[in-house]
This record gives sequence, C-alpha cells and structure tokens, in this order.
Amino acid sequence: MRSLRFISATILAAPPLLAQQKLDKRIAIAADASIRISNFAGTTRVLGWDRDSIAVSGTAPPGVHFFMGGAGRLAKLGLEPEEKSPPTSAGHLDVRVPRGSRVWVKSADGSIDVQAMTGEVDLQSVGGSIRVTGSLRLVTAESMEGDLEVIGPSPLVRVKTGGGKILLRQTNGDVTASSVSGAIVATELEPQSARLETVSGMVNYAGTVDRHGTLAIQTHSGDVELLLPTLLGAEFDLESTSGEAVVSLPAKTGKPRKGHSVYFANAGGGAQVIVRSFKGQIRVYGQ
Amino acid sequence: MSCAELRAQADAYARATLSAAEATAFEAHLTTCASCTAFLEAAEAPPERTAALPKSVDPGRDLWPGIRERLGKSGVGRGRIAVRGWLLAAAAVLLIAVSSGVTVLLLRRFSGTAAIQQAITLSPLEAQYASAAAELGVALARARGQLAPETIAIIERNLAVIDSALAESRRALAGDPHNAMLEQLVIAAWRQKMDFLRRATALSPAS
Repeated sequence: MRSLRFISATILAAPPLLAQQKLDKRIAIAADASIRISNFAGTTRVLGWDRDSIAVSGTAPPGVHFFMGGAGRLAKLGLEPEEKSPPTSAGHLDVRVPRGSRVWVKSADGSIDVQAMTGEVDLQSVGGSIRVTGSLRLVTAESMEGDLEVIGPSPLVRVKTGGGKILLRQTNGDVTASSVSGAIVATELEPQSARLETVSGMVNYAGTVDRHGTLAIQTHSGDVELLLPTLLGAEFDLESTSGEAVVSLPAKTGKPRKGHSVYFANAGGGAQVIVRSFKGQIRVYGQ
Repeated sequence: MSCAELRAQADAYARATLSAAEATAFEAHLTTCASCTAFLEAAEAPPERTAALPKSVDPGRDLWPGIRERLGKSGVGRGRIAVRGWLLAAAAVLLIAVSSGVTVLLLRRFSGTAAIQQAITLSPLEAQYASAAAELGVALARARGQLAPETIAIIERNLAVIDSALAESRRALAGDPHNAMLEQLVIAAWRQKMDFLRRATALSPAS
C-alpha cells in the first residue's frame, strides 16, 4: 500500500508528456560556413565564437520540431511547428557559430539577437525585433513591423522595416536605413555614406559625417533633426516642399537660415548633407 | 551634373565611352540622387511584360480589305498607318492601366475608375514602376492565403501609408510637373512600395 502511494505520487509529480524539449546539439563546420537558421516558434540568439563548430542550446515547445544538419561549409537548423497552427508557447534557440561565418536567420514574431560575430548576417523577421552588436563585414536586417538596432562599426549596413523603429549607433561605413512609418534614430555615427529614408517616420541624427562622405535623408512627412559638429566641413542642401528648413549652425555663413530650400557650405565644405522632404520640418543644430 | 545631363549621358556611360572625369561625375551624381538611380534601374531591367510586347500590333485577322472596300480607293495608304498607330497607342495605355489597376484593385486601395485615370497620366518611368508593382501585387495576392491575419494587417497598414504619400506627392507633381524634387519623391515612394511588396511576398512559407 505504501509503495502504491509512492508510485501514484511519482506519476502525479512527473512532467507532462508535452513538456518543453531541451536542446543540446553540436556539429563540426568550416570557419567560413554558410548557416541557415529558421525559427518560426520563438526567439533566436546567435553568438560568434572561435571554434569550427555550431552548438545549439535552448528549448523547443510542445508541437514544435527541431532540425539540424550540415557539414563542411553549409548547415541548416531551426524550429518548425508540426501543425499549421502556431505553437501555444514560444521556444528559444541559442546558436553558437564560427565568428566569421555567414548566417541567415528567418523568424516569425520572435526577436533575433546577434552578438560577437565578424562575418555576414542576413536577418528577416515579420514582427520581431532584430538587434546586432559588433563589427561585422555585412549586416542586412529586414522586419515588417519589428524594431531594428545595429550597434558597432560594421562597414556595410542595410536595414529596412515597416512600422518598427531603427536605431543605429557607432556605424561608420556605408549605411542604408529605410522605414515606412518607424522613426530612424542614429547616434554617434561617422559614416562614409549614409542614406536614411522613411515615409512618415521622423529622422533624428546625432553624429558627424566623414570628410568626403555623404549623408542623404529623405522623408515624405517625417521631420528631420540633425545634430552635427559646429565646425563640420560640409555642403548642406536642404529642401522641404511644404515644410521648413531651419539651420542653427553658428559657423554657417550667408543667408538664408530658414526657408523651404536652404543651401550653404559650412566651414569650407567637404562632406555633403542632403535632406529632402515633402512636408516634414528640417532642423539642423550644432553641437 | 544635373539630372537631365545624367540621363542624356546614360547610354554613353553604359557603352563606356565617357571620359574618366565624366564617368566620375556620373557616378558621384548617382550616389546622391534617388531619382536618377531609379531611372537607371528601370532602364536596365524593363519589366517582363513590357519587354515581351511585340514591336508592332496587328489585328487578329486582316480587317483591311473590308475597310478598304467601304472607304474606297482614296484612303488606302493613310488609313492603314492610322489604324496601326491607334492600336499601338491603345495597347500601351491598356498595359499601363491594367498593370497599375491590378495592384490597386488587389490591395483594395482605390476605386477601379480612379486607378485607371491615375494610370493613364503616369510618366513612362512611373508606368514601369506601376507595372512591376502590379506583378508583385499579383504574387502577394497569391501568397495571401498562406499569411497570418496579423501579417496581412501589418502589410495593409504599411501599404496604406505608402499609398497615401504616393498620392499626395503625385498630386503635387501634377500641379508642378517640372519640379525635379517632387519627381524624386514620387519615384522614392514607388521604390518604397515595390520594396515593401517584395518583402511582403517573400514572407510566405513557400518562398
């Protein structure tokens, strides 16, 4: 009788059959491999490391299938719902990859976070946010609605979102950022070439521009605010069809300082700053 | 270099017959001018439908003997040319109207009449964008059944923002047709729309 009670208690305390599955898988792979990750059931974190292998940990929720395979210079892995209906709970993938590899991630609503890589990443999400930290050869990130954040001196950055916000920090190479209604906020930038485009989002840029670089901004209705070094040597070409451009750079010479269209050279020229808007307001401040 | 100069030199640049200085100025202009970039992209890759159009359009069967009989001998030469020109023009307008209208109708943005009126006044460059956007719109409509309702809502919300900006810019350009900046904004809105449609289409599991 006592042993029966023990067995009953053990059965009751056992985890349900549909418990989350813990993941712990590894495969050898080349240091410059191409790795495809699909995660339609949760969040993804990609971490670069100095080993020639991929190591995956994390969890797969009930009703979700984990797959992984590959060798040499190609590998693919991911979480995939077994049924068409979305899983009831979210899973998570922690994927360690060779630092210099090329990684492609496709996600549904889960966030994607990339750290400590030096290779190339191509990240796509429908509604999840995307964050990339470090100095990579190439960053491409696209989301329909999620926020995008790129931090670090990657030489080539291409980011696009619909309603999400774009945050760029410390990027100094060639940057293209585009949104539909999401704001674009750039801080501590010194790009050789930056092209920021949004339909209705605002653009807030604080940083400088390479001496021979170009900063081109275009909005339809979003306001544009630039905070630039007072002595930045640049030619400014600012135009808003029905908005107004106002310049508060102390080093600026000549007139006008405000109007639908303002063109001037600051501190001898050099870089190019071009802003176009249909009805957004353009403000340029010195720091 | 102005936009007009760049467009005049586009063929020479493609044939590599520009001097080094001219080529440098050409490329420098492109780095800052979305309108000219879009112009060249469109010139490089004409939409399949446009490229597939025949050089001339003949009626399905030869109607001319019957027409000649009715008109008499005096109208022979001029009549045939007039019919061919009219058919070509009609075919071009029809292509623009249909291809633009398809996207619009699929996405339920405007009424059919407004879409066709809008299409007829498109510039050749815009017509190419409209045609390409229509093709993407068809692909998106096919993929619609595979997308989650939330995703469809996101797509429609963003397209509404782009379409609203596009309509506003086009109205302004209609009132000031020689304004290069407005043209640039219109083209930028088309590029945004095409890019968003492309990304939306790529969301389907099949892709």
